[in-house]
Amino acid sequence: MTRELSDVEMRTIKVSALERGTVIDHLRGGTGLRVLSVLGLKEDEAIALGLNLESKKLGTKDLIKIENRELSQEEVNKIALLSPEATLSIIRDYKVIAKFQPELSEVLIGLIRCSNPSCIGNHEPIRSEFRVVHRRPLRVRCRYCERATNGERLELC
Amino acid sequence: MSKPATDQYFQGKDLVSMRDLSRDEILYILEVAQRFENDKQPRLAGKILANLFFEPSTRTRLSFHAAMARLGGTTLGFADAAITSVSKGESLVDTIRVVENYCDIIVIRHKLEGAARLAAEISQRPVINGGDGANQHPTQTLLDLYTIQKLHGRIEGLRVAFLGDLRYSRTVHSLIETLARFGCDLVLVSPPQLRLPTDLLDDMANIGVRCREEFDPSILPEDVDILYTTRIQKERFPDQLEYERVKSTYRVDRRALEIYDRTVTIMHPLPRVNEIAMDLDDYAGSAYFKQVENGVTVRKALLTLLVGAS
Repeated sequence: MTRELSDVEMRTIKVSALERGTVIDHLRGGTGLRVLSVLGLKEDEAIALGLNLESKKLGTKDLIKIENRELSQEEVNKIALLSPEATLSIIRDYKVIAKFQPELSEVLIGLIRCSNPSCIGNHEPIRSEFRVVHRRPLRVRCRYCERATNGERLELC
Repeated sequence: MSKPATDQYFQGKDLVSMRDLSRDEILYILEVAQRFENDKQPRLAGKILANLFFEPSTRTRLSFHAAMARLGGTTLGFADAAITSVSKGESLVDTIRVVENYCDIIVIRHKLEGAARLAAEISQRPVINGGDGANQHPTQTLLDLYTIQKLHGRIEGLRVAFLGDLRYSRTVHSLIETLARFGCDLVLVSPPQLRLPTDLLDDMANIGVRCREEFDPSILPEDVDILYTTRIQKERFPDQLEYERVKSTYRVDRRALEIYDRTVTIMHPLPRVNEIAMDLDDYAGSAYFKQVENGVTVRKALLTLLVGAS
C-alpha cells in the first residue's frame, strides 16, 4: 500500500531514503569519490554522496546511495578492494532486504593492474588475473608474474 | 594439485611454475628422472621440440636440445628473438599460435615474467618454462632437487645457504620456496642491495618459514649442508655503477671452506665468473658440473612425461 508524498517529503527521501537501490556505508574516509568513479554512472541513476561523515567505527566515513541499482559481483569486488570495511545494503520498497560486507571472489579478473613493469600482462593485450592468497590483511598474487602484492598497494584497472 | 599415480598423469600438462606442483608431483618427477639415468630408448622419435629462446641462454637451451636428441627427437627454434618476427612487432600470442603447428612440445625463455604462463594458455601443445624474467625456472629447480636428492639421499630437513644475488636470480626464487616446502632450513647471504625481494620474504613468512638473512657474503655460514652460490648478474642491473659496487663481494675457494670439518655440497647454476674458485673443481663436495649432467636427465624425463611417451 502506498500513499502520496508531499514535495518536502520527496526531497528528504531523495537524500535520506531510497525506494529501490543500494546504500554503500562505512566506506573508509576518502575513498567515496574513488568508489563512485570505478562504479561508473548511468543516466537514470540518482546518487547521493556523503563525504567525511562522522563515524563511531571509523572516525570518518564516506557514504553513497545509488538509486535503482543493485551491484554486480565485479562491482562488489571493486568496493572490497578499495574499502573492505564497507557495508552494502540492498533496498527495495524503502526496506533493507539484505545487508552485507563486500566479499572478494577467489579470482579477480580484469580488476587490478599488475604493479610489476616486467609482467607480461603489462606488455600483451590480456586481462589481468589475480588470486586472493590472504583475505585479512588482503594479499593477492598475479597469475602471470606470480608476484604477491598487499592490499594497500593495489592499483585498480 | 594431486598425487600422480602413473606417468600418463603428466601427459599434455604444462610446466610453468614450481608453485603448480605438489610435493608428490615433484617427488614423482624425480623418481622418473632416476629411471632415465641410463635409458637409451628413442622414446621421442619423430617428435619435435620448439626451443623458443627470446632471451639468450647457453646451458638451458643446449640441455633441452641434448635431451631431445638423446630421446631420438628433433629440435627447432631460435636463440635470439632479434632474428624472428618478434623483431617485426609480432606479439607473443601470435608467435605461439604459429609455432605450435610445427612441434609437439614448446620450451620458452623470455625476459618478461609470466610469458610462459601466457604461452601455456595459448598453446594446445605442452609448454615448459625455460625461465621467465626474475620469476621462475622450474627445470633448473627440478635438476637442483634431483642433484640434492642424489647426493644427500633426501631433500627434507637439509640446511641450505644461498649466496650472492638473491634479488634478481630466478633460479634462487624458484628453488627457495620449494625447499621451504620440504622443511629445509634456509640461510640467505647477500649484499644488502641484493637481498631476496620483500614479496618473497613475505611469502615465506606466510607459509610459516623463517629464513635467516646475513648481509656479509664474505663470511660463510657454518651450520649448513649445502652452499648454493649464484653469479652476480650484470645484465639484470638497471644501474651499472651498482653492479660494480657489488660484483666481487664474495668468492668461495678451498681456503674459505677450511671452516668446515666436513664436506659441504657446493652448487651453482652456472655460468660462474669468479664466485667459485677453479681450485674447487676437484673438491669432493663440488656439484655444479653434476648439476649440468643431471639437467639433461631431468629434462629427458620431463619431455617424455609431458609429451606422453614414457
